[in-house]
Amino acid sequence: MNETKPIVFVIDDDPSIREALDSLLRSVGLEARCFGSVKEFVAAPRPDVPSCLVLDVRLPGKGGMDFQKEFALSETPLPVIIMTGHGDIAMSVQAMKTGAVDFLPKPFREQDLLDAIEAALEKDRARRAEARELAMLRERLATLNEGERRVVAQVVQGRLNKQIAGELGVSEITVKVRRSRAMRKLHAGSLAELIKIAGRLGI
Amino acid sequence: MLRRSVMTLPGGRSLLPASLVVLAAAIFFVDTVTNLEIAVAVFYVAIVLVAVRYLDQRRVVVVASACMALTLLSFILTRAGSFPAGMVNCAISLAAIGVTAYLALRTAAAEAAARQAQAQLAHITRVTVLGELTASIAHELNQPLAAIVINGNAALRWLGAKPANPDEAAQAAERIVRDANRATDLIKRLRALTKRGPGKAVWLDVNQIIADTLTLVRSEVARNHVSLAIDLADELPPVQVDPVQIQQVILNLVVNAIEAVSAQPAPSRAVEISTSVVPAGQVIVTVSDSGGGLGGAEQDRLFDAFYTTKPDGMGMGLAISRSIVESHGGRIWAGAAGGRGAAFSFSLPAGKAAIHEPGIARKAPVRK
Repeated sequence: MNETKPIVFVIDDDPSIREALDSLLRSVGLEARCFGSVKEFVAAPRPDVPSCLVLDVRLPGKGGMDFQKEFALSETPLPVIIMTGHGDIAMSVQAMKTGAVDFLPKPFREQDLLDAIEAALEKDRARRAEARELAMLRERLATLNEGERRVVAQVVQGRLNKQIAGELGVSEITVKVRRSRAMRKLHAGSLAELIKIAGRLGI
Repeated sequence: MLRRSVMTLPGGRSLLPASLVVLAAAIFFVDTVTNLEIAVAVFYVAIVLVAVRYLDQRRVVVVASACMALTLLSFILTRAGSFPAGMVNCAISLAAIGVTAYLALRTAAAEAAARQAQAQLAHITRVTVLGELTASIAHELNQPLAAIVINGNAALRWLGAKPANPDEAAQAAERIVRDANRATDLIKRLRALTKRGPGKAVWLDVNQIIADTLTLVRSEVARNHVSLAIDLADELPPVQVDPVQIQQVILNLVVNAIEAVSAQPAPSRAVEISTSVVPAGQVIVTVSDSGGGLGGAEQDRLFDAFYTTKPDGMGMGLAISRSIVESHGGRIWAGAAGGRGAAFSFSLPAGKAAIHEPGIARKAPVRK
């Protein structure tokens, strides 16, 4: 896949940590964007590339955990890796529950962080691929006309052509024609595939 | 202890023995030339009292013995007057000198014990406050350590890259040095605060003491989601203080303020530290908070020992703070903050000019 360079977002209130992480991530060829607070991160643009967020739990103003909870529910959630200072075991449990990819107590092994980042980026790539595919299916669905769509809706419920013809008040031939046209438009090679596609589109 | 070291001028100590000797000689002379009936020797008591104030126990005994010897000598040397009356006078003088020396030494020893007990109590409460801050201090120390580890790894990766990037590696190494120094500074500050025994009074800028203290509570402030405002006056005149003790007072007040606002919802947790100078030659430090404020009855007892409003409080923080501030010749008081909440202030007598020596001048501005 010819993908653009992924971005790792970092939120930590400590400039020392930000500088260090920036250098480490650049040294392995990742692009890092570091922020001192949640506010700065939220205000910053988020390019349309695979990304993840490395978040310190202890932040001024809104804490890292509160933010993660909100962020997980937002429209464009990124996989989150939580960093913590000294012995926040309870926090680690809470973080995993709210869907953090990984939880790293500081100081951590850099390989652990890089592995966690790789896993997070992989997750985001998968999410993006999934979203892309769904968008493509929706586009294809949009090319179906009203009659074809009705036929598909009946077919996936397991109705026979004859039954569908009766239901919709058209000839069996018409049903057959609409059905094969719809399958071509949706790139479905078989009835099984058509049912799968319809399931993903929520028909 | 502190007040005494503050008040003793460097020149005063060398002048003292000479003036005592002159005084003793004068008493001896008058005692010898006057009649036996006139008991001039009792004035040796004054010498003993002065000696108790400035000399150690052994030396006071020597001084008192010398005074008694001089009393006897002038009794022998004096020819004029009634011998029996002279003998009674001599005995009274000897008794007065002896009893005065004894009582004065006892008093001085009791005072020293009290001062030592207070210093120990101050030490204990200081360590207790630091104990409450352990998690925050550990975090504060952990940050530079974590940064050092990350920078070290980054440097290795830059060097191991093909081609190697020595410039980036050098920058990472520089950051390692900087962060290690940051950790060391913090440890030094902690060691100073946990050190036992009397400190030294030095001329300092209160703003710098506040900045140093805040490095210890910064993370506690963040952890409790408190917004900390710092409003320090420019060009404060120096104060002559024991920095550890004044840090302790500031630490007490700030930790109290954080606790006071913790009951509030997070957005309205505010603590402000400010400094100012009043024309009367006092530097004022104020720590105000947006907490629940003080009840009227509470306010009178706040600074009493063992008085506490916290479930697990010792009730010593403010009492110790008061004794520290007063031993520096200042005053501590509590009032209402503008709007709501409480404000605690203390004053310290100011020196003449603003500090300009590079060593103790204000360093970097305070980071939140």
